[in-house]
Amino acid sequence: MRVGFIGLGVMGRPMAENLLRAGHELGVWARRPDAAAALLAQGARGYPSPQALAREAEVVFTAVTASADVEQVVLGAAGLIHGVRPGTLIVDHSTIAPSAARRIAARVAAGGGDFLDAPVSGGAAGARDATLSIMVGGAAAALERARPLLDVLGKTVVHIGPSGAGQVAKACNQMTMVAAIQACAEAARLAAAHGIDFGRVRGALTAGSAGSRVLDFFGGKMAARDFAAGVEARLHHKDYALFMAEAARLGAPLPVSGQVWQQLNALMGNGWGREDTSSLLRVLET
Amino acid sequence: MEIGFIGLGLMGRPLALHLARAGHALHLWARRPASLEPFKDVAATGHASPAEVARHAAIVFTMVADAPDVEQVVLGEQGLAAGARPGLVIVDMSTIAPAAAQKIGAALAERGIAFLDAPVSGGEVGAINAALTIMVGGSQDVFDKVKPLFDKMGKSTTLIGGCGAGQVAKACNQILTGVGVAAVAEALNFATRSGVDAGKVREALLGGFAYSRILENHGQRMLDRNFKPGFKSWMHQKDLRIVMEEAHRLGLALPSSAATAQMFNAMVGSGLGEEDSVAMLKLLEKMSGQ
Repeated sequence: MRVGFIGLGVMGRPMAENLLRAGHELGVWARRPDAAAALLAQGARGYPSPQALAREAEVVFTAVTASADVEQVVLGAAGLIHGVRPGTLIVDHSTIAPSAARRIAARVAAGGGDFLDAPVSGGAAGARDATLSIMVGGAAAALERARPLLDVLGKTVVHIGPSGAGQVAKACNQMTMVAAIQACAEAARLAAAHGIDFGRVRGALTAGSAGSRVLDFFGGKMAARDFAAGVEARLHHKDYALFMAEAARLGAPLPVSGQVWQQLNALMGNGWGREDTSSLLRVLET
Repeated sequence: MEIGFIGLGLMGRPLALHLARAGHALHLWARRPASLEPFKDVAATGHASPAEVARHAAIVFTMVADAPDVEQVVLGEQGLAAGARPGLVIVDMSTIAPAAAQKIGAALAERGIAFLDAPVSGGEVGAINAALTIMVGGSQDVFDKVKPLFDKMGKSTTLIGGCGAGQVAKACNQILTGVGVAAVAEALNFATRSGVDAGKVREALLGGFAYSRILENHGQRMLDRNFKPGFKSWMHQKDLRIVMEEAHRLGLALPSSAATAQMFNAMVGSGLGEEDSVAMLKLLEKMSGQ
């Protein structure tokens, strides 16, 4: 199939490579030409604008940073929407506000195309190994067209609901995961306060009721005091601003998330934003 | 003096009337013409747009709900800036984010228009009695020019610092009042659930280090179960949202404010948004199964 990919960063590049490897014709556009160099060397074709890319692709994937970036790439001057033909499908893997996803989907639909919000969980390793969880919002028929491609990118593809629903699921994912990282950090801090090796505590807990993927991965990093990202904490921090604003708009109380957000603020204030979120442990040590 | 006023709601209307009574000529614009009714008997002229107001006034006050409203009225099409004459001063008394105030101030400075952020504390009662606390950000010379007018609206006016500093002070005010209301509600509910007369507790504490105006005033309204606004919960929710957004931007932990902000979310979500912030007590009672 003729597919396009925009956003060739830590997540996007390995995802695009998986599409190439599966035998699809891949077109790319990148703001900075060197971001595309590796993929061009592997046989991808470069385009001068998102618009030009959209004209020749059946499905275009985007994986950029924030709502404003998606709006720019999709709706901006020379954006994808200007190259959309009837049936063109845009699949956005970025993590953005549900309301932004709904707005963009409506504009793309008005232009004759389809838009799916399809944020992912699983990190850079999941992108490389094609084991991502993909949470999809949008029309079921559009998802069925994209499914063979999404199966190349991830292990679990779930249709959550209409436009924006994928982003809601992603917000739930982020708040659950980062709260668990904070709980893990507090356990590590308590163990240390008692003079006990957290590595041993973690080893014991892993098999019991407190066992979790977060305890395995982030707990392991804390035990090893390996604070290199992983997931850069600033990206989790960014997500909190998004979903806490939506929670305020909706009048939904999120007391634990409100506290975890403050711990992330403190982490950022310490200048650890580009390090791993397991640095939440270090906030408890200041 | 020729004075413009935009935003004639609960707070803005009495403030504009104070200025009229002090002998100033008012130039008004309102989205809904009905808002101009109370000004029939004073020297006031209604105009078709904020730009028209600016064409007739030397100083214009704005008092609206949120940052997008201020931006629309000041910088939008037919906004104040579009009709500004040389020397115009715009004074925004709304509560918005410090960063938003700085953005608006900078946009106006480029066009040679002076700007003060001047949010207030004291509520509708303070506005009616001209007893507001006014917290101002901007330059000293512009402040001096507007100060006699501030004195008609408030009891205490302080130039805090440069552009946005008034909004920072207001954010601090909202942290203290928001967390304070939550603390008083929790303390009085704790007393009641312990089988103790909360009114006696309040009375005793007023004499000690826990004294605060919130314990005195808001505490009494909680005891009277008088939840009429006053200051509506959804507005306090909005103000704490601003505080939390700024904390996010600054990389600053505000755990108590965050807990309180979530309580206000719960109030709005459970239908208490239109009641006074003292209805926090009702939320606490419900949460624990009363």
